[in-house]
Amino acid sequence: MSFGTFFLRRMLMVIPLLVGIVFVTFMLIRVGGLDPVGRLAGPTATAEEFEMIRAELGLDQPVWVQFAIYAGKVAQGDLGESWLSNRPVLDDILERTVISLELLLWGVGIGALIGIPVGVRAAFRPDGRFDQISRILSLFGFSIPTYWLGLVMLFVFFYLLGWAPPGIGRISLMVSPPDFITGSYLIDALLTANWPAFGSAFSHMVLPVICLAIVSAAPIIKHTRAIALEVLSSDAVRYARASGLPARIVRKLVLRNSATPVLTFVGTEVTGLVGTMSLIEYVFAWGGLGQYGLNAIVRGDFTAVQGYVLSLALFSVIVFLIIDFVVFLIEPRAELQ
Amino acid sequence: MTGGVATAGNGTRPAGARTAIVNRAIGLARLSPTATAGLLIILFFGFLALFADALMPHDPELAFAQRVLQPPSADHWLGTDGNGMDVLSRVIYGSRFGFGIAIPAVLISLLIGIPVGLFAGYRGGMLDEVLMRFFDGLRVFPSIILALAVVAATGPSLLNVVLVLGFLDSPVFARVVRSEVLALRSSVFVEAAVAAGNPTWRIMFVHLLPNAIQGAMAQSAVRAAWAVRISATLAFLGVGIQAPTPEWGAMIRQGAEFMITGQWWVALFPGIALIFLVFGLNMFGDGLQELLNPRRKAAK
Amino acid sequence: MTILSVRDLRTHFISRDIDNRVRVAAALNDVSFSVSAGEVLGLVGETGAGKSLTAQSICGLLRPPARVVGGEVVFDGASLLDMAPDDLNRLRGDAIAMVVQNPRTSLDPLTRIGEQLVRVHQAHRRVARPAARERALEMMAAVGIPDPTSRIDAWPHELSGGMAQRVLIAMALMNSPKLLIADEPTTGLDVTVQAQILDLLRDLVARFNMAAIVITHDLGIVAHYCERVAVMFAGGIVETGPVGAIFDNPSHPYTRNLIAATPERLAIGQASMLGGPPPDLYNLPGGCHHRDRCRYARDVCGEPPPDVELAENHRVRCHFAGDLPEPAAAATAKGAAA
Repeated sequence: MSFGTFFLRRMLMVIPLLVGIVFVTFMLIRVGGLDPVGRLAGPTATAEEFEMIRAELGLDQPVWVQFAIYAGKVAQGDLGESWLSNRPVLDDILERTVISLELLLWGVGIGALIGIPVGVRAAFRPDGRFDQISRILSLFGFSIPTYWLGLVMLFVFFYLLGWAPPGIGRISLMVSPPDFITGSYLIDALLTANWPAFGSAFSHMVLPVICLAIVSAAPIIKHTRAIALEVLSSDAVRYARASGLPARIVRKLVLRNSATPVLTFVGTEVTGLVGTMSLIEYVFAWGGLGQYGLNAIVRGDFTAVQGYVLSLALFSVIVFLIIDFVVFLIEPRAELQ
Repeated sequence: MTGGVATAGNGTRPAGARTAIVNRAIGLARLSPTATAGLLIILFFGFLALFADALMPHDPELAFAQRVLQPPSADHWLGTDGNGMDVLSRVIYGSRFGFGIAIPAVLISLLIGIPVGLFAGYRGGMLDEVLMRFFDGLRVFPSIILALAVVAATGPSLLNVVLVLGFLDSPVFARVVRSEVLALRSSVFVEAAVAAGNPTWRIMFVHLLPNAIQGAMAQSAVRAAWAVRISATLAFLGVGIQAPTPEWGAMIRQGAEFMITGQWWVALFPGIALIFLVFGLNMFGDGLQELLNPRRKAAK
Repeated sequence: MTILSVRDLRTHFISRDIDNRVRVAAALNDVSFSVSAGEVLGLVGETGAGKSLTAQSICGLLRPPARVVGGEVVFDGASLLDMAPDDLNRLRGDAIAMVVQNPRTSLDPLTRIGEQLVRVHQAHRRVARPAARERALEMMAAVGIPDPTSRIDAWPHELSGGMAQRVLIAMALMNSPKLLIADEPTTGLDVTVQAQILDLLRDLVARFNMAAIVITHDLGIVAHYCERVAVMFAGGIVETGPVGAIFDNPSHPYTRNLIAATPERLAIGQASMLGGPPPDLYNLPGGCHHRDRCRYARDVCGEPPPDVELAENHRVRCHFAGDLPEPAAAATAKGAAA
């Protein structure tokens, strides 16, 4: 199967998933039985005014018609308006995406750089001291509430030691942000050689990234270990040992055969960590999509919540697609699937 | 093999003159130190929750107006919070919310997930296909966010938190049970039961269920950990249980602003309690799963 | 010339149970045999008798909790059990080569087969790549892989089971081994392919003057392709001798059952039910391990059975070696039931 055919087939399979995603986000508000009309109409509205607003919002139609209207709007990129920001939700989301991606990719990237080698090393000597310590640490990492970790870090590194900035935003208020190129302060400052901005952006980034890295490393350690253990007990590795291949080559064989499942897991992990990232953004007032979404949830801005949940689901779909394509390209066996 | 009679150098040898219970305890601890340590932690918090009334030095919701934000002292071992309430008493009382949410939430997940998995696995066909596609599809939503959004939409009450967590987590159990049932469906004992003319419900609940449920049981400790974590997160965001109820997440929320002004004890201690209960549940669950995995069992 | 000689090899599984008691499974009990150059020894027995475990113990491939607790293994004048793990690893795939069950999953799925052949050669010999590749082509031709020059760049998943097994055999031959251990080499292959692979193995043993051990539960294979046979039961060898002698004059009750239950070329996969379940290795009966399943068992079987040499190289571990009643109708009836 050529890459082109595979690509087309995979894209076609996504369509029902997208419909499902739009349906779930649509239902999100309806299960609550929340009444957006009351909020829009205000406490002094008359019964007629209520009805008018209901009709305006399409709430007097049957559910499936409402869904069709909603889906049609989403397809055109109309996610409604946020009553918190008084702007189209789509605009709010688009301008915050890069800000969040920057945090997410650094955090998960560093988490993977820690987690993968630790997991592999633990698997090579199951029940050895390294394995036991890394297992306890990973279970512990699983159990730390992200937001609490962020708060403790702020206390230690800002209040006690004074090493870190106070954890408000992505750059110091005294420094003017770099000119807009990509949306990432770090990259933009680098591209425009704006060193004060780069320094400030970097120092603001350290704590949230470390937080996310710690929390994302835990599951990566656990799963990398499990995957490598599985490969280690596979026929191929047992045969490699029976053929007297040197330990170095056996190790390489294990690493290569673990690569695809580990990559798949880390990719999945990226999508799962979006929730954790949102909490970190909330604590550090990061100003990205995550903080926007949590604010919307807390304050009851449900149009924005819908847009937020929808964009996270779309992000997952895109990541899963990328993983599938990469796996197809690097796996000799992929043609069989 | 309980006799412990030594035969000609082979077989089972008693391990010294300790009593049977001690030997069983040591044996369990050797077999899975993780599960044992996890169980001890869970029991510790269970003790706190059960005897909270006797253990708390003060009323957890009594505000000492003169003693707001006091650091740990002889009177208030863990200090007082912004309302002048005793942090230690509140941390102890908070363990009730941990169990009070986790246990019913997991029970709901089990009650929904097990029958669904049983049906899907045994019946197969369209129903199975649609259900599994649906569960797969749900995975594109980060679980924390979905839980947050649904609880926020349904309104922040303890009951809603429990119901939403229970519903959202049931696919986990459905999957586990389904895969076990699929493996068991074509086994000899099930075919024999079918051939003997047992009705379908009997085969599913009497023959399949007891054999398929092990994995789900081991999973439930891990899922309880998840429920405790998420419910605390909800309270931290102010979406779930509201302050001044002595729930750990709500306490961290109250203490958050004081972390950058130096009153660390308000948020630190409920966080530590939360970590350890979740850690204990995770260790217990992880250990159980390892014990159930025959390949790992053989290696011990 | 004797290439491998195994004497009183004992392997145990040692673990602790939930009540913290030490449990010992006596998986191999005083296994002794030897193989000479140019000879094929068949190691036969039911599932769980310890055939594969014997091979793993010899090659140092045991994993905890399995452990060699006694005996000696001499290969080409060197004691394998006393050897450092690294030295033993250098011997594996070189002078001692293995062919395993599941050839398709045993090949590294992410490496082309030519590369794997080169890899095993270079792991043991200082050879340049072109020379190693040349050798790979030569060995692929020797094991009857058609069109080696194009097949050498195939991926493992592109091979059929029979072809994959030929690749494993080529792999084993890369370093001209003195001893070849084939562990169930044809299980899972088509019957016609089975015969081809076994013919190939026998020819190669003769051509390269190797010693070979074929582990199987198929007495038909033993009858056709082996010179000598060792019958294993409950971790011990109960009878060993030239193939002709064993089939003409089976002298251990278990061997008799086995032969009676095996029409030519019929695999005895369910052989563990021959006259009962296999004994509990954690709690082996004292004396003769076979006595619970034996039709001839008497009181004397409570004592360990002697090792009797019936004829040249034909040895039996039984109290009644040589004077068992002739296999009567009962034996055949029992065999048919199994």
